[in-house]
Amino acid sequence: MTALEQTAAPGRPAWMQTAWILMRLSALLLVPMVWIHVLIQDVLVGVHHIDLDYVAMRWASLGWRAYDAALLCFAFAHGVNGLRQVLEDYIHGPRARRVLRILLFLFWLAVTLLGGAAVIGGARS
Amino acid sequence: MQSFAKFVSSSAHYRPREGMAAFLLHRISGLAVLLFLSIHIVDTSTVYFFPEFYEEFLAVYRAPVFMLLEIALVAGVVYHGLNGFRIALFDLVLPAAWTIERERLSVRLTILLAALLWLPAGLIMGGNFIGYSFLGW
Repeated sequence: MTALEQTAAPGRPAWMQTAWILMRLSALLLVPMVWIHVLIQDVLVGVHHIDLDYVAMRWASLGWRAYDAALLCFAFAHGVNGLRQVLEDYIHGPRARRVLRILLFLFWLAVTLLGGAAVIGGARS
Repeated sequence: MQSFAKFVSSSAHYRPREGMAAFLLHRISGLAVLLFLSIHIVDTSTVYFFPEFYEEFLAVYRAPVFMLLEIALVAGVVYHGLNGFRIALFDLVLPAAWTIERERLSVRLTILLAALLWLPAGLIMGGNFIGYSFLGW
């Protein structure tokens, strides 16, 4: 049995396999996208050359805005789902897991909306 | 949480093999990157909500200790991505090709490749760290 078939084991909700597949598909996109983002901003530009004007200049290009929006969607969802998997290794009760999933979903939603509003609204000076 | 305490105490005198090491590094790097990413989304959102605070966040990131953490962050991002590729390769593309020997070799290659890819970035960022922290750039 392959790992993909194992995720569809009977008694397991369908969204788990969807989440499992999304983890791997988002990861394939994330590897080049995050590496390029980190290479440009952390290594080549560096935090000492980043300020409000730099963000405004970058977001003047619709392409970079879309790039950052995509990073926000894929990277943060991938990370929060990963955190869910880690915590569910230690939290086993069905009630506790339900509470955990609701809390993590709200955390994901709040931070994504915050970041999404900024990407759409843009830098103000 | 009892299982977590047991895991921590037993880890102190257990030398992991390659697969376990890859798993632990994947978890630690993933959690660390998620911690930074959460802070990073919130700090970046100030460019729209509270532009006057954005520069203060950046002043924190420019502190020497955060510049060192940034170098570690890049190592985590490089390793987590490469190891993710390794996992997806065995899970999705070549499940029949998996053997314990290949698992162990692939982990060693992944760590080696991650170190090689991180090295030039680490040198550039390390140069910036020394320049901005001690040489008054």
